[in-house]
Amino acid sequence: MKKITLALLLAFSLPAMAAEMVHTAGEAETTAAGTLKAIEKHFAETMPEVKGDSFVDGAMNFSKSSKEYNNYWMMRFVDDLDQPEEYTKLMDGGKKLWNTPFANGETFARCFANGGKGAAADYPKVDAKSGKVVTFENALNACLVKNNEKPLAYDDMKTMGALSIVARKLSDGYRIKMEVKTDAEKAAFARGKDIFYGRFGKADQACANCHIQHAGQIARTEDLSPVIGQAAHFPVFRPNKATGDLNIVTLQNRYKGCQKNTLVEHPIKEGSEASNDLEYFHTYISNGLPLSTGVFRK
Amino acid sequence: MKKIIYMAILGGLLLQGCKTAPAPAAAAPAAPGKEAKVVEMNPDKIMQDSNGGNCYSCHTIPARPDVASGNIAPPFIGMKERFPDIAKLRAAIADQKVFAPDTIMPPFGRNHILTPEQIDVIAQYIYQY
Repeated sequence: MKKITLALLLAFSLPAMAAEMVHTAGEAETTAAGTLKAIEKHFAETMPEVKGDSFVDGAMNFSKSSKEYNNYWMMRFVDDLDQPEEYTKLMDGGKKLWNTPFANGETFARCFANGGKGAAADYPKVDAKSGKVVTFENALNACLVKNNEKPLAYDDMKTMGALSIVARKLSDGYRIKMEVKTDAEKAAFARGKDIFYGRFGKADQACANCHIQHAGQIARTEDLSPVIGQAAHFPVFRPNKATGDLNIVTLQNRYKGCQKNTLVEHPIKEGSEASNDLEYFHTYISNGLPLSTGVFRK
Repeated sequence: MKKIIYMAILGGLLLQGCKTAPAPAAAAPAAPGKEAKVVEMNPDKIMQDSNGGNCYSCHTIPARPDVASGNIAPPFIGMKERFPDIAKLRAAIADQKVFAPDTIMPPFGRNHILTPEQIDVIAQYIYQY
């Protein structure tokens, strides 16, 4: 009887656990370090010209037009006379949120060590008690709640997005230094990895399809960037395809965009546990790379 | 032992449905024919629609340089030689995973992104190249 119960348990749990995967670099590895190594090896073979910190530049490594377009915007961001109006407005909004003291007189800066300098490099991390992933945006909201303020909506790019850029800019140049050691961390990494390699939605595509298997190739007009380096440069400024207006896009907001493109009917949303898990895996894959926030991306 | 294997297979079969809905937020299976939208039958329009065929996203037609297209998948050229039987081409559009398990190509038929009739007009359209 015991045997039968075990067989039934196996039969019932296995199909439910196993989203269909894409068998590409890193998928078969059992450790975080092994996964990253396998992905690095894949890109060393498929895009040998992209090395080290230049992974943060994503598709610009192999698209000259992308690089030129990017340079044009980045120059305008720092040009007092030609700064895009939306950029100024969004950044001012973020600065106001970060700098204005709460009703109790406390500030965001006081919620973090060193006034927030380098703080973003400590995230995402796993809360040892709950086993849940805590992102830097979670920490920003926790700071608000701790000080009796209302948390910001994770999908509101004008508030949370802008605040995140301003707060993360204090960590520009700091390197991602994640460690996946404890059981809770390993479990979080595995959950995020399952999402990354799992096929979802009507298009039945996985993140790994575009950003490992086909990275460096072109989807219609867009260059597919390698997964390494992606998590190091969010949130970004991105033009709205229809209006041309600059918008802020956080990493988890970008996940939603990817899911829209791949016809996922019930996407994982900003601030959800699933998005946090994916961010945890995703950020580890950029381990060692320098953070650079608020950059322009097409 | 036989009994155990039998039960395991049965259990697996019962749960086959779960495999297609792996999303962390439970993904509802596509409901074909639920919306009373007019079905686009112009192959070129279906192929350019990013919520439809979106074929150009990955495939290029060298004879159609006017359309922006990607380079992820093989170009549509020599189709008659590559697919002597057009039914195989239709089957590939419907579910390429049957032929290449790790493909990035969406299963347009299996997941009801396109109707069988739309798949047919696309197959016929690209067959000319």
